[in-house]
Formats: sequence, C-alpha cells, structure tokens
Amino acid sequence: MKKMKYRTSRRVNGFLFVLPWLIGFITFFAVPLKNTILYSFNKVDVGASGGIELAFNGIQNFVDLFVSEVSTDNQPLQRIFFTENVNIFTNLPLIVIFSLFLALLANADFKGRGIVRIIFFLPIVLGLPLIVEWTADSAGRNMIESASGGMFGARMGAQLLLEYTFLPKGVISFLSGVLGNIFQLFTRTGVQTMIFLAGLQSISPSHYEVAKIEGATAYETFWKVTLPLLSNVVVFAVIYTMIDLFLNSTLTEEIYNFAFVKSKIGVGSALSVVYMLNVLVVLGIVLLFLKAVNCIEKN
Amino acid sequence: MKSKARRLLINLFLASLIIGICFAILYPILTLLPMIFTDLRELGAPDSIWIPSKFGVNSIEFVFRSILQGKPVIILQSLLYAFSICAIQVFMSAMAGYALARTDFKGRNIVFFLVIFVFLIPRQSFLITQYLHFKHFDVLGLFQLFLGHDVDLINQPITLYLLAIFGFSVNQSLFIFIFRQAFMGMPQELEDAAMIDGAGFYRTYFKVMLPNAVPTILTVAVLAFVWAYGDTYYTNYFHTDGPYFGVIIDKTFKDANNWYINNQARQWFDTADTNELAFEALKQASILTFLTPLLIIYFFVQKRLVENLDRAGIVG
Repeated sequence: MKKMKYRTSRRVNGFLFVLPWLIGFITFFAVPLKNTILYSFNKVDVGASGGIELAFNGIQNFVDLFVSEVSTDNQPLQRIFFTENVNIFTNLPLIVIFSLFLALLANADFKGRGIVRIIFFLPIVLGLPLIVEWTADSAGRNMIESASGGMFGARMGAQLLLEYTFLPKGVISFLSGVLGNIFQLFTRTGVQTMIFLAGLQSISPSHYEVAKIEGATAYETFWKVTLPLLSNVVVFAVIYTMIDLFLNSTLTEEIYNFAFVKSKIGVGSALSVVYMLNVLVVLGIVLLFLKAVNCIEKN
Repeated sequence: MKSKARRLLINLFLASLIIGICFAILYPILTLLPMIFTDLRELGAPDSIWIPSKFGVNSIEFVFRSILQGKPVIILQSLLYAFSICAIQVFMSAMAGYALARTDFKGRNIVFFLVIFVFLIPRQSFLITQYLHFKHFDVLGLFQLFLGHDVDLINQPITLYLLAIFGFSVNQSLFIFIFRQAFMGMPQELEDAAMIDGAGFYRTYFKVMLPNAVPTILTVAVLAFVWAYGDTYYTNYFHTDGPYFGVIIDKTFKDANNWYINNQARQWFDTADTNELAFEALKQASILTFLTPLLIIYFFVQKRLVENLDRAGIVG
C-alpha cells in the first residue's frame, strides 16, 4: 500500500518537475511554430492598432521567396540554400573528425597535457558567434597574412600540392578550401571535443588490456574497440555539429531582413518554414547515413 | 636502437602536431593582439607585423571611455546577467532532466521526444513569431481580461528571464538532455536507500540526487554561462537597450558608425592619418575586452571541468 502511494507521488511530482518546461513549450515553441506556419500561407500586415491582419494567399509567399525575392547581397534565395547545404555537408564530417582527433590527443598521456587541454577546450569560448564573426576577417589578420605572404594560408598549401603531387585539380581545390577554412573549423569543435573526451574516459581500461593481450595494434584497437564503444557519442556529436552549423548559417540574417527591414512578415515566415524543413531533411539524411554505417560495421 | 629512434620520431611528430593545433586554435586571437597594443597614432607603420612599432594601450582606453561610456560596471552587469541566467537554466534543466530520467509519469516519452525536437529546430526560425508573441504577450487571454490590453514584453529584461525559467533560453533543451543522461546513469540504490530512510520526493532529489550530479552541474553551468554571456540573439532582439556588453559592441561597430568612431578617436588621441585602421583596432580591442573576463573565469573552472568530465555522465 505504502509502496503504491510512493509510486503515485513520484509520478505526480515528476510531472510537476517538467511542468514549467511544458508551459514554456506551449507558449514559446508550439504557439510560435503554429503562427510561423500560419503566417507563411498568409499575407501579413500590421494593422493600425498594432494587431496582426491576415489574408490567406496560398503558397504565394513561397513562390515570391524563390522567384522574385533576393537576399541581402542580391542573390536568389535558392543559391543561398544551396551554398549553405554544401557547407554543412563538407564541414560536418571535418568538424566531427577534428574533434574526435583532438579528444584522442587530449586523452593521451604526455607532459604538459594540462595546458594542451586548456587550449583544446578554448573553442567553447572562442566559438561564440560574436567572436568568430569579428576575428574571421579582421584587419589585423589581413595585415599579418599579407605581410607573411600567406604563410599560414591556403594559397601556399595549394601551391605546394600543385607543384609536388599529381592530384587532380578538384581534390586540390577542396583541400585548399579546407586549409583556408581551418581556423573556422576549429572554432566549432569545443563542445564536441569535450563530449568525445568524456566518452573516451568512460571506456573501461580492461577493454584495452584485453586488446593488448590479444596482440592488437594501436590501429586495430582504435577501429575495433574505441570507435564502436563511442558510437553513441559519435551520433550525438554529429547531430550537435549539424544543429550548430545551421544555427550559425547566414539564413538567420535573411529571416531578420525580411521581417524587420523589408517588413514582409509572410515571406520571412515562409523562409523560416523552408529553413526548418531543410534542417529536418538534412537530419534525416545524416541519421540514415549513420544507420547504414552501423550496419556495415556489424557485418 | 632502431625502435628507440622510431619512438623519438613519432613523439616528435606528435609534439609538433599538438603544437600546430594549439597554434591554429589560438591564431585568430593572436592576430588581434599586435594591432590592439599598437599606439593608435602609429597604426599602419609598414615595418611592424607582430611586434608593435610603438607600444600603446589607448585603444583599450577608448573602449572604456567610448564604448562603455565610462561605465565599466556594464561588464559586471553582463557577467551578473550571464550568471543569473546560468543559475536559472541549471536549476530548471536539472529538474526536467531528473523527471525525464527517474520518474515514469504518463507521456514521459512524448515529452522527451519534444525536448529533442526543440533542440533540432533552430531558434532563429521563430524570430518573427516570437517577437510578435512578446510584443502582444498574453496568457490564455488573462491579461486581456484583467487589464483590458495585452502586455508589451519587448525590450524588457523579464522576457529573457521568462525564457530561461520556462526552459527556452540558449540551448536549454540540450542541457535537459545532458541532465537526463546523467541521472539515468546513477545507480538505483541511491533512491531506494533514500526511500527506506523515509525521505520524500523533494528530499531525495535535493539531498541525494542533486549533490551526486555536481560534475554534470558544473559542465552545464560552464556552457550555460559562456553562452549566456556571449548571446546576442535573445538579448539583441528582446532587450535591445539592456546593459549587455556583447550587444553594445555589436551595435557600435557597424560599418555605418565608422566615421563617428574614427572622429572620436581623432579627437581624443590625435590619430590624424590612420582613419580606417583606427576603427579596426578599436573593434579588436573591444573584442579582447569582451573576451577577457570570460577567459579568466574559464581558466579558473577548466581544471575541475576536465577532471570531472568522466563523471559528468554526458555519455550514456
């Protein structure tokens, strides 16, 4: 009897604990979501009294968005969507691999590991959008780079590759793109490195002992022991990276621009809806890919 | 002998790799320093790249005098804001995470699914409707009923706190997820022991479970603090005129203000011929000023952060 009462009280209290979040969900998420979708199918005007006036106009907003409207720098919106998606699909694997690599290095035992860890986690702070934006294209950096002949830049790397290897041009331009982007990529790694390191530290040492006794090389141990045990963490890191990349894409500015500069709330909402769908589609593709990889691993 | 040489070579390779990565991470910040610490009058001297031709801190002085308008207290206010948002976020997310992990109320899985869903939808896509929602804020028509009008919450600090209390501040669904994973990983015996001792639900939570989640709390707190301090999204749109350092710099260093800022610099520091560069140097100085308190705090907590990682239970 007492046990019954205890369980019911736990249920009630548990619900009370998530109740604030549920209220928040309805007021700050569900209602705005509903309105965004509603506005995207309507011509929205702000009335004289400050109220919102809606007039249904079907998919006109979506048509406008992709046919007649242009972005802040006068490009058609579909081109922005295209470049953003290409960016995300190239940067996503790079960032995840980089952060896994950083975590592996930070997990190794060597002198000065403390300092290295401080620096490896620094992107948590340096990755703030504000700081990334301002340091990416600063006059100081441009000065230094032009003075040092682009020594740390992509141009040098591309030139070396062109002269001393026989790689096709496409590969070289991709590599030099990565190199030119490398500082940006590192700013996005902070949280993922942290998660990976936590994952690495939670692997019990006995796994490695067994691998060692079986005579596995470090390479085999990584692929057969470490990575499979990290698979959950990898999924999490991939999804986190994807969302983070979307959050920092230029599409945000476009939404702001439509709503508050051009006063086209309807078109802005349509853009928001497309943006949301874009995220969900990319997420679906990524999840399918991860699932496929997992199946191959198991076979 | 051969293997010794090989090991040395590998170590050398790894060391240079690590140093290289550290350099790549720090590089964007390092490139700011030479300009910031060059005397404003000497900017653009052609023979100095990394080492200023004439050392000076007047660009930082300018940040305090002009950007902060002689009120360094703004930095303190921003830190305080970040701290209170962080405290609210930790408190509320831990509660939600605990309920999702350790109680089986009806619809728990649906709520968990919704938490994930919220995390997946970028907050920017609601910018318009959230803005309008706060502009004409009303709960179930209650304000309309009692006050006769809805409430304008735009440009009020309370909006930001409301968001945090109800779980929708910066990345809060991520924190709920992290707390859920951490509480899931805790042994059932903890709760059973508390129950046998006759502790009720709240006592169990506050006296037993929460103290055991300290590593997770620390991890979440660091992230929440950094993100709240660096947030220019919610602060800029919902409380534009507030004392948030990030928002202030963001607004001041628009290209449109170039002339104004250069003019001010010229008046105060007599920077006759370095117009364009003065603007950039001042911008960089303000980034550094913005970053410094964060870095100091980071250096103090990072050791515990790293030590605690394996116990934080984010992994699950």
